Amino acid sequence: MSTTSTLLSPELLARLEKMELVSRKIFRGRMKGERRSRRKGQSVEFADFRNYVHGDDLRFIDWNTYARLEKLFLKLFLEEEDLHFYALVDASASMDFGDPTKLRYAQQLAAALGFVGLIRGDRVKIETLGQPAAAPSPVFRGRRSMWRMFEHVESFERGEQVSLAVGVKNFCLRNSGKGIVVVLGDLMDKAGYEPALRYLLAQQMDVYIVHVLSAEELNPELKGDLRLVDCEDGDEAEVTVTGPLLKRYHQTLGAFVESARDFCTRRGMVYLPVNNEVPLETMITDYLARRGLVR
Amino acid sequence: MWPTWMNMLGWWQWAILLAVPPAIISLYFLKLRRHPVEVPSTYLWSRTIEDLHVNTIWQRLRRNLLLLLQLLLLLLLILALVRPAWHGQKLIGHRFVFLIDNSASMSASDVKPTRLDEAKERAAALVDNMESGDVGMVVSFADAARVEQMLTGDRGALRRAIRTIAPTKRPTSLAEALKVASAQARRGSVAQTQDEEKAPAGPAETVPATAYIVSDGRFDRVTEASLGRLKPVFLPVGEESPSNVAILVFQVRGQERRENWLQAFAQLKNFGPETLRPDVMLRLDDKLINAERVTIGPGETQNVVFDVGEVDSGVLELVVDARDCLAADNRAWVAINAPRPAEVLLTTSGNEPLELALGTRSAAKLANITVRPPTFLKTREYAAAAAAGAYDLVIYDRCRPETMPQANTFFIGNVPLGQRWTLGQRVDAPQIIDTDPTHPMMQWLAMDDVLLWEGRPLGVPPGGNVLIDSDAGPLLAVAPREAFQDAALGFLLIDTEGGQPVSRTNWPIRPSFPMFVLNTLAYLGGGAHEPGGQSARPGQPLVFEVAGEPGAITVVAPDGQASRATAVRPGQYQFSATEQLGTYEVRSGGKPAMRLAVNLFDPNESDLVPRKALDAGTEKIAGQSGWEAARREIWRPLLLIGLAVLVVEWMVYGRRVGM
Repeated sequence: MSTTSTLLSPELLARLEKMELVSRKIFRGRMKGERRSRRKGQSVEFADFRNYVHGDDLRFIDWNTYARLEKLFLKLFLEEEDLHFYALVDASASMDFGDPTKLRYAQQLAAALGFVGLIRGDRVKIETLGQPAAAPSPVFRGRRSMWRMFEHVESFERGEQVSLAVGVKNFCLRNSGKGIVVVLGDLMDKAGYEPALRYLLAQQMDVYIVHVLSAEELNPELKGDLRLVDCEDGDEAEVTVTGPLLKRYHQTLGAFVESARDFCTRRGMVYLPVNNEVPLETMITDYLARRGLVR
Repeated sequence: MWPTWMNMLGWWQWAILLAVPPAIISLYFLKLRRHPVEVPSTYLWSRTIEDLHVNTIWQRLRRNLLLLLQLLLLLLLILALVRPAWHGQKLIGHRFVFLIDNSASMSASDVKPTRLDEAKERAAALVDNMESGDVGMVVSFADAARVEQMLTGDRGALRRAIRTIAPTKRPTSLAEALKVASAQARRGSVAQTQDEEKAPAGPAETVPATAYIVSDGRFDRVTEASLGRLKPVFLPVGEESPSNVAILVFQVRGQERRENWLQAFAQLKNFGPETLRPDVMLRLDDKLINAERVTIGPGETQNVVFDVGEVDSGVLELVVDARDCLAADNRAWVAINAPRPAEVLLTTSGNEPLELALGTRSAAKLANITVRPPTFLKTREYAAAAAAGAYDLVIYDRCRPETMPQANTFFIGNVPLGQRWTLGQRVDAPQIIDTDPTHPMMQWLAMDDVLLWEGRPLGVPPGGNVLIDSDAGPLLAVAPREAFQDAALGFLLIDTEGGQPVSRTNWPIRPSFPMFVLNTLAYLGGGAHEPGGQSARPGQPLVFEVAGEPGAITVVAPDGQASRATAVRPGQYQFSATEQLGTYEVRSGGKPAMRLAVNLFDPNESDLVPRKALDAGTEKIAGQSGWEAARREIWRPLLLIGLAVLVVEWMVYGRRVGM
């Protein structure tokens, strides 16, 4: 078992081990885990009493109460279950920009968050948008799955030709369970990101949108008469880049980010615009922690 | 005024020229080899330039100043090649005399602000249109012409000279102005040809000059204009029918019955096309003493008479309160001066009737009479006084001086020296057959009851007036001598026979005799000035008699400026700086002595209707525009603008490259 990973440094892993994923909602898990569930069950945390009825497990009868009151009561405990954590990475061609590339950055983020989930015994699934609806991706659970998960994440290939909406729809079809979903992408879909996010809303998941932007988008260093070619669909835009036009671009970008934030906030999603040039460690331990995705 | 175009190019040249702009535009688009750049997504860019796409072509053009400048430059070049020109606007000839009328009528405000300003503006416009190499001169004229600027090619100097022309209150004389202009233009042309050291093409006078006469044409017909080589162009100034009411006459007279009771008499004329009802106000020393509203129809004359009363001295001012175009003729002044008694010397060996007549109270008012025997004429005292003009009138009764005095004279039984006066042979009992009642000396005299014993007919010099004619010849006559009047009586009033006075006529016992003596004192003694003193026209000299040191006589103009009067002869002075209207105060040794008035009183100047043509000699100069049809080409400024555009283009290009 290799102790190194190109995705995440050991130092980062060491820091991540102390963190856990935070869900703002309490979900029903599939297996016993470390998350408190709404279901009553077996744990050390007391929840409530109820009257004994025939067929109840005698092991849960509170004998002390019986001794005092001569009535049979069952002692109920909180059930602890696992959390479903999904990371959905946009691996389209447009993610292959920046240094590190946005895709790489998204992979690292997904791996890091997945790692946190594995440590806490959560059920982790990391997928790309381009994954077909009928092809389920592996589920990772427990610290042992760590290397398998890293390999899986590393295997993502750029250049998937799928729109955001279709990718999210497929994702939702594959995964009906509830939990945390983190979408990592640049939201640059000509059809708009809104329909895609509505699919997630319909799943009633705890949605985090991590909007990865590179320097090419934040501060394009373009000059002169240019023919801009879209790397995904080959669309061309002829521009003469001047100071006023750049100013206008920044206004458009700002409006775009703001509208996305507005859209997400109104619908209970967490919108996190991130710059791929911010170091990963800072991003997770500081930035994401502050936005409440991890703690 | 649209420009005309001149086709300088053949069709194929036009084709090439018109092909250039599309070529430039296509080259501009070809030049745009856009550099392809792969970006993550054109999503944001498309949204950025979304609204710009609406008018992409214009955006591109707008963003390329260089292209626009190139096209502009090309347009200017094409325009220049087409050689556009404006119609007309060229002065006639190359040598100009700008004659600008600044007479009184040019102060009329029918053209705002005044006709003179309009005339100056038009002359300045003419100067502006002079081409390089043209020469001009500026002459202002009223009754006299004044060269404001000699012939020069310096348009700035001409404009300055035109600006400095000030209005006057004088009448107009074009003849003088044309003479001056013609002479100056000729002289200027000689000087110029010498300056340029060119062989003159012919006699200097043959160089023709155009005389631009900017005037309202309000002057008498010019009869002797010598235009020389001047080609006159008349530019009339003024509205068709300006309203103007003018004071043409303003006098003050004593009443017939009561001499000290003064009446002011004025004559007003309405030169305008409408009936006016102005208020006429009479002021004495700036105090309103009478006013009247008069109604004057167009072209009508209205007389106004005011009773003034007994006034010893003062200034009467008549004001016509009319809002008309010329203000100068709405006011008139009459100065009433306290009468000065005449100094009269009577040399006689005894003439009782005459002395009696001179001794009356009325005569004493008119004159201080000194009686001396004929021997006084030999004394040095008389010689000095006579030569210095100390007397106003000397009466020689049956005697003659050796030289004529500087005074009016009245000879009884004798004739003045020289001057072709003659005394005929004695005639017995001449019959008076005629008198001249129009002469001031003979006014109100009934001579039909006068009998004469004897008389000697007079030979009257040319220019003299016969006042009493008899069957034998003139018996009383007056003739001028220089500035004086000499009168001679051809019969004696009294003779001496054997030491006893003998009467030679019954005239002294007739009522007409004392009247005649008073008339004589008034007329020859000058003692009875018209109560409303002298009035001169602006620009004419004021001549007046005043006692005092010759060097101490000053005249204060209406604006308060004092200047010295020049002596014409002893006791008589002249003052010629009479440009302003109003009253002039004569001061002798600092003390006010008398006042004189300067009034316009010029129907020619007050009649403001401008003439469309004017007579100059045998020519009739019609009013015209002053322009000659000509092309004024503007390709030069177009090229200059093109050059400026080129410079701007370079600057823009430099900034682009340096960016």
